[in-house]
Amino acid sequence: MFLCSKFRKPLLRLGFSTLAFLFFAGCATKEPKHALQLTGNVMVDGPNAIEHGPPRDKVLWEYRTAAAAMRQDKFDLAKQYLDDALITLRGIFAPDPNAKKARGYFHAEAKKTFIGEPYERSMAYIYRGILYWMDGEPDNARACFRSAELEDSDTEKHEYAGDWVLPDYLDGLATAKLGGDGMDAFKRAEASAKGVKLPPYNPKANVLIFFEFSPGPTKYGTGEYGEELRFHVLPATVLSCEFTVDGTIYPVAPADDVWYQASTRGGRAMDHILGNKAVFKKTTDVVGNVALIGGATTAIASHDRTAQQVGLGIALAGLVSKAISAATTPEADTRSWDNLPRYVSFANLAVPPGEHVITVQFRDMSGTVLPNLTKTLTVEVLGDGRDKVIFVSDQSLTPQKI
Amino acid sequence: MAVAGLLAGCASSSGVKNPSGIPVTQMRPDEQGFVTGTGVESQDLVAVTDKMAKSILGIPQIANAQGTPRIVLDPVENSTRFPIDKDIFLTRIRAELNTKAHGKVIFLARERMAALERERQMKQAGQVTSSSDPNVVEFKGADFFLTGKLSGLTTRTHTGTSDYILYAFQLVDARTSDIVWEDSAEIKKQGLEDAAYR
Repeated sequence: MFLCSKFRKPLLRLGFSTLAFLFFAGCATKEPKHALQLTGNVMVDGPNAIEHGPPRDKVLWEYRTAAAAMRQDKFDLAKQYLDDALITLRGIFAPDPNAKKARGYFHAEAKKTFIGEPYERSMAYIYRGILYWMDGEPDNARACFRSAELEDSDTEKHEYAGDWVLPDYLDGLATAKLGGDGMDAFKRAEASAKGVKLPPYNPKANVLIFFEFSPGPTKYGTGEYGEELRFHVLPATVLSCEFTVDGTIYPVAPADDVWYQASTRGGRAMDHILGNKAVFKKTTDVVGNVALIGGATTAIASHDRTAQQVGLGIALAGLVSKAISAATTPEADTRSWDNLPRYVSFANLAVPPGEHVITVQFRDMSGTVLPNLTKTLTVEVLGDGRDKVIFVSDQSLTPQKI
Repeated sequence: MAVAGLLAGCASSSGVKNPSGIPVTQMRPDEQGFVTGTGVESQDLVAVTDKMAKSILGIPQIANAQGTPRIVLDPVENSTRFPIDKDIFLTRIRAELNTKAHGKVIFLARERMAALERERQMKQAGQVTSSSDPNVVEFKGADFFLTGKLSGLTTRTHTGTSDYILYAFQLVDARTSDIVWEDSAEIKKQGLEDAAYR
């Protein structure tokens, strides 16, 4: 009874101070609400999220919607979303208040404007390059493939820098088709292919086919507070494919593994920042525990009024330290371009002008054909000097008339 | 302690720059805006095409030509890492020359040939009137081709991205294939992304 009355006022003050701290700490993170009803259909959710969702996630949804649009033969839509996303990606040099916030102790990394990790940025450029080539602009396609390679050039270990095979190979092919010498790029692609022999360029090839298959990587956070960014991939559902044109079968192996590209990037500058945030969170939590227990014990155990007040002060400081720890957000940004493929590949061949039926079959790990994924494409080759560019995903609509 | 908490809690909301956004700002195309990258931007386009237009007008083949030289634009090749609308360079050079050359050169509208051919066919068929004999070919041939190439060199490390672009333009004699004029401009830009993106 004595203790209760004796500690009532200090405890009330302590509680009030803490509540005030938590209340005002909360106001710092308040932002406009963007309630989205997701349906699970990217072609519905994407445009909705781009229009009504948080601006920081706009590029993420543009990436996702563009990939889905490519698979539904809606290339103009894909172009529109990728162009807008790449404007943000290229303009990231301007000071970004959200990026600054994301580096702070009390804002999660996911508060920054999403542009993706290097493998995601590279894929955005690869898709856009394919679309430029479809439009008869191989030089702009080449520009995209060069940017795709560049996005991967700042890896922690030099051996993994700029080691995409397809962008370099296509850079050289575009150069060869434009009358230049693409062999430098070809050699880079061959070096990245690590022993796999790439087909030599055929400048007369007028049908270019891009393939993608199997689900790609997603992100997750590990470490005590989820501060360490890691990549996860489901077992490959498709490991290779083959296509048939005019009775001839052409096998296609993966040229690039997107998961490999994601997981070989190594440490980021942001990882150090998140690591520091995690240490800060841990330290303030431990200090809070020690101060809270020590202060409260002193206040309760002591019969001296001064010692009791000092004990309460320490406990209060501990409570504040705990509150600061709770408000610290070291979690890694795990927003993922979650409809990327695992594998991308390419084939090109010379066919006479006219209509051709191309059948694409996908094979699983054991080499068994997956008949439900087979695609049939009726292709009209015009013979006007422009390449016929075809994009085939294991998720593509079928049949298609191109 | 409560005051400290209050200040700490509200610090970030009051520290947000431009909380209401920035209104649309009209700028000159040759000035650098507050939204920039290391790629091709309007100020580069203006600087490069201004230089090329002035340079072309000074060459003897144009300045001292007997008749009026006719020029056809041949698409620029983009060899940089930046996808761009390539026509924009030649379009601006053409516009500059048409504005400032006072008829010293004439550009041929080759990109409109399909529409021009259709018009001629309608005249030949008598579907529309004609002020001259539509059966006589009056489409002019080119004396020169104006073309160019954009080449780039990029470096990217943990200290930032550096992009150098060489804008080279040529005037090629359509009869002899002589390059009668060539000029270039170079622009180098560097930038470093926020650590949150590295």
